[in-house]
Amino acid sequence: MNKKRERLQVLYDIMKIISQHGNSIKPTPLLRYSNLSSSSFSEHSETLLAKGFIKEIVDSKGKKYITLTDKGFIYLEKYQLIRGFIDEFEL
Amino acid sequence: MPITHVFDPVEFSIDVAFTLIAVIFCFLIYFKTRESYELTKYEGIKYFRGAFFFFGLSYLLRFFLSLVILSKIAFDFILPREMFAPFFILFLGYFSTIGIFYLIFSSIWDKFQKKQLLLWGHVIAIILSVISFLTRSHFILLALQFVFLIAAMIFSFVIEKERKKITKIRVLYFLVCILWLLNLLTIDHDRGRFFSIDVDLYSQIISLVVFIIIYYKISKWVK
Repeated sequence: MNKKRERLQVLYDIMKIISQHGNSIKPTPLLRYSNLSSSSFSEHSETLLAKGFIKEIVDSKGKKYITLTDKGFIYLEKYQLIRGFIDEFEL
Repeated sequence: MPITHVFDPVEFSIDVAFTLIAVIFCFLIYFKTRESYELTKYEGIKYFRGAFFFFGLSYLLRFFLSLVILSKIAFDFILPREMFAPFFILFLGYFSTIGIFYLIFSSIWDKFQKKQLLLWGHVIAIILSVISFLTRSHFILLALQFVFLIAAMIFSFVIEKERKKITKIRVLYFLVCILWLLNLLTIDHDRGRFFSIDVDLYSQIISLVVFIIIYYKISKWVK
């Protein structure tokens, strides 16, 4: 599996974790569940934020949570199909 | 030597219909994969889409040439073909060479520094199209693209030694490129053809079957 493919899979995995936690999870447990190094997690989180797949929200107590956007849910839904397309066409 | 040829309206109509269907399928493939690319920004999808976009433009140019030929034959309205034909070859050469390059690059892009290889692709496409422009011959373009295609296929095979087996999708990619080259041979057939009408017709049917297979395979994954 090439590096680029891994990146897509990692993004998917992070979003899947958020989805499995009721679409709201704090950054620290997300880092733990994603099984990534801190620097790698930061890099992928920034990518997801920049692409508009996730957003950060702060509750009334000032605690930060990460949630999926609509675009993020679409990605989760379509990911398996897109990966199938990439594999079938050897892209 | 080209076989001397008399204009046949039925044959011409089939040729125009084939070209239009090819244009439609190329752009259908391009637009069908848009969402997948926009969601992932995956380089392989970008080059795959780009290949069909440029093939679509190439077939579209070929379609316009058919209209020029038709204007001369059907309406006795002579467009100055000698004047704009070299420019037609220039753009056709560039678009189709980039199409071939993108299709091959779509499956080996991760082995290279992409900016450098992309630059080389554009440089090769410009050189090929300028040579064809200067010689004013689509046969020169065909010969150059054939050499480029074979070199690129060997190159991609060598750098992907670990794969070893030739997959069905690679065969489809090769067919898309080689059928484009066959199509180049028929591009100006009111001046004579290299193959009989049967050979041209079979190559057009196979081309459409290949496009349909690719579109069908994409439709399975990209809803």
